[in-house]
Amino acid sequence: MLSTLFLGTACARIAQPEGWAGPTLADERLVASIGRGELAAIDIEDSSGRVIWRFPPKDQKHPDGSKIDPEAIYSTPLVADGTVYFGAYGGWLYALDLASGDIRWQVETGGPVIGSAVVQDGVVYVGSDDGRLYALNAASGQERWRFKTGDSIWATPLVADGVVYVASMDKKVYALDAASGEERWDKPFKANGGLASTPVLANGTLLVGGMDSRIRALDAASGEEKWHFKADDWFWTQPLVLGDTVYAGCLDGKVYALDVDDGTPQWEQPFDTGASVRAAPVLLDDVLLVANREGVLYGVDPQDGQLVWPLPIDLAKTVLSDPLAQGAMAYISAQGGDLFTVSKDGKRALLVLTESGD
Amino acid sequence: MFLWDLVFVNPITNALIILNNIVLGNFGVAIIIFTILMRLLTMPLTLRQIRSSRSLSALQPKIQELQKKYKDPKRRQEETMKFYREAGVNPLGCLLPMLVQFPIWIALYNALRIIVGGTPESVIGLSQRLYPWGYIEQAVPLENNFLWMDLGQPDTSLILAFIVFASTYVQQRLATPPTTDPRTQSTNQMMLWMMPLMFAFFTLQVPSGLGVYWAMSNIVGVVMYYFAHGPERINWRTVLLPPSAAPAGRQANRRGEPPAKEKEPSEEPAEELAETALPTEGKRKKKRLRHGRSRGKRKDRR
Repeated sequence: MLSTLFLGTACARIAQPEGWAGPTLADERLVASIGRGELAAIDIEDSSGRVIWRFPPKDQKHPDGSKIDPEAIYSTPLVADGTVYFGAYGGWLYALDLASGDIRWQVETGGPVIGSAVVQDGVVYVGSDDGRLYALNAASGQERWRFKTGDSIWATPLVADGVVYVASMDKKVYALDAASGEERWDKPFKANGGLASTPVLANGTLLVGGMDSRIRALDAASGEEKWHFKADDWFWTQPLVLGDTVYAGCLDGKVYALDVDDGTPQWEQPFDTGASVRAAPVLLDDVLLVANREGVLYGVDPQDGQLVWPLPIDLAKTVLSDPLAQGAMAYISAQGGDLFTVSKDGKRALLVLTESGD
Repeated sequence: MFLWDLVFVNPITNALIILNNIVLGNFGVAIIIFTILMRLLTMPLTLRQIRSSRSLSALQPKIQELQKKYKDPKRRQEETMKFYREAGVNPLGCLLPMLVQFPIWIALYNALRIIVGGTPESVIGLSQRLYPWGYIEQAVPLENNFLWMDLGQPDTSLILAFIVFASTYVQQRLATPPTTDPRTQSTNQMMLWMMPLMFAFFTLQVPSGLGVYWAMSNIVGVVMYYFAHGPERINWRTVLLPPSAAPAGRQANRRGEPPAKEKEPSEEPAEELAETALPTEGKRKKKRLRHGRSRGKRKDRR
């Protein structure tokens, strides 16, 4: 009896992947995850949030005959040339027709896809948990090249000036030639912890956060470290660069504003949200929107880190996905699939409530 | 829950990660070493539990006699408790050490679940539990591959499930005190199969790191039992073979222990019964009487 109690207690909360894909907007359609392993295109012109199509389709299968089961979607969909690209925890990368949701092509990687895909010059770049970065033809899904790192790739690659920068859980940042996949730096940059944060580039400086609780600035040309800033927990958000300042949310619950050139803190003190910050901070016109894990949203002045909104907005949902900023409006996807809109003046609205069906 | 995590789960989580660094990043080996260390740490309690269980099983024939002798339930309970008292045996003695160990095992289980959870959400959860020491931070992400398994995923090869099944079965077989009560015998018989099957089933559902922990914990338990009882008291043939629907006397003997002499129910007082029973701590005189025979045997062998 005691053993049964023990087992019951212990097995009660076995982790299942939930996914934290952020929303994407294209042609008046919001493409977003509206539930575990489910993606949908939503008509934002329709006040009721009409669903235009859903993925996965019931009547289609993978080329190998297996059932299409994304399991969970962490990869924020990317829309380019009328095609939606996203990876799934089930290990497949999908290209869907934006208008109809039909599958244009699908390619299997060797592990779950956590990071988002990037499209540049007709090539899709995506990392996989199998440790490989894949470069595929955006039109057909045919492989151009692949590059193997020492561990899983959970971060979204960054493509700029013919170079693909990719951070890996093997604690390294790689710079690869976008056309051939050849390494550009003499040696990859090595941090002290895994790297799950998507890098950003600002004036020749590559900024990347890590599981060693540091955000680092690297020389994009050589991979040499310029500076680093240490916080109390991991950096897992994609940093946001505005002018000479980089804003980075941290799992210690704070948002830091640092000088891009030397890493000097720009605010008197970091903005403390009180709970882990996994979602990237975004700018709504002139208000910095910060969402913590507990679904509490803050409007912050990017100049001094002071509250702009008198009161935070509590969505009462877990928020781990990156919000999508569109002018003075942001779209936020909460865990479980509920979609919210938030305006720069601190007003929120519920766009899609998944528990009620559509 | 916060206090529970702070006192139990988080220290164990960090200790496991430190151990992972010591064994050069092989988390499977870290789980095995940690399980051994934890079982060694709680060994005094385990041994006490084994001794209590042995004492209780040795008293079973006399308890049976009392139950036959006194038909009135109230009187029967009074006499049984009186007998336990006089024999120096606490009927809950084998339960208490197990209960004390429980929080540790549940915390260890939770820590393993958090560390090898494998999903991005569980990795974020892990960050909240790690001490802000560079030595620990450097360990993340952990290497989840061990032998043929991904410690963060269920092992579908059935190998681990079989090991867990077999080790649970053997430990269960050794640890279940023999009884002469047919009802208890039937329950024990059911549990003997049910528990290993349940654990094997769960092994197929949960990250294999937990299965490694279960298997190792069982194996260490069997080894401890082996040394606590002494090799001469365990008949591996009877342990490994499935039990038959044997009569009470044979059931009591299934661990290969010397058979208890069947006595006719008598009216002897409780004190006399205690003389023939296995005493516990504080009854050294009686203990000598009990162990006299086996010691003599050991002497002869020398």
